[in-house]
Amino acid sequence: MNAFTIGLLAGLGAVLLIAVIAKWRARNKPMSVAEKAEDLSKRRARMLPALALIFLSQQATFFSQMSGGEHVSAEKAKISAWLVLSVVLLFGLATKGFWLEPKEVRDLVDDENTRANRNEAMRWGFLFAMGGAIGIYVLTMFEVVTGREAVHIVLSFGIAAALLRWGVLERRAHRPG
Amino acid sequence: MPERLANRLKERRTELGLTQAELAEKVGVTRKTVNTVENGVFTPSATLAIKLASALGLSVEQLFWIER
Repeated sequence: MNAFTIGLLAGLGAVLLIAVIAKWRARNKPMSVAEKAEDLSKRRARMLPALALIFLSQQATFFSQMSGGEHVSAEKAKISAWLVLSVVLLFGLATKGFWLEPKEVRDLVDDENTRANRNEAMRWGFLFAMGGAIGIYVLTMFEVVTGREAVHIVLSFGIAAALLRWGVLERRAHRPG
Repeated sequence: MPERLANRLKERRTELGLTQAELAEKVGVTRKTVNTVENGVFTPSATLAIKLASALGLSVEQLFWIER
């Protein structure tokens, strides 16, 4: 099994582990649908900026190798895990999230205000991704940038910006007036 | 001068002795959404405005108005 596959499996394992821990923590908390949605909504507001920071911190491995050096196996594994994290975060941004929760909870936690905040976050993500792409285009006039590096930068800008913006909007929405 | 959708949601809700969570449950949204509408942070859709007005026993025009 090569390092990239190990990284992919490690990433998937981490996602599954987080889901199981979240379920286990909620096992003894009988809540109504509304209470559960409120709890998840607050948790999401806390989690989004943290996820953005974790996501950005994962870039260090990749960009430390940008000078053209060979990736060692451990770094290849980390890059694959980063890819899994990117896909999971993209799905989280594009869907209602909380995939293991009942439908009525998922519908409520994705109510009108949440959808508006998510759309605004996606707009920011798009603009930052495009800004990153323009930056890379300019950079290629002076430096050699590989396709993989370019994809990495565009994904990082887009996803991190969307997560941070959504987190800010959700926290603001929870703040009492 | 920008226009803003003002409301008397909080006033009416407290008159009826409802919490944000109770009102949210009545109209099928989270407490956060009621909070943002009350604070003027979020402009609700026509559907939600009608549901809120109905839950609070007012017409939409009595609950919301445009401030210039």
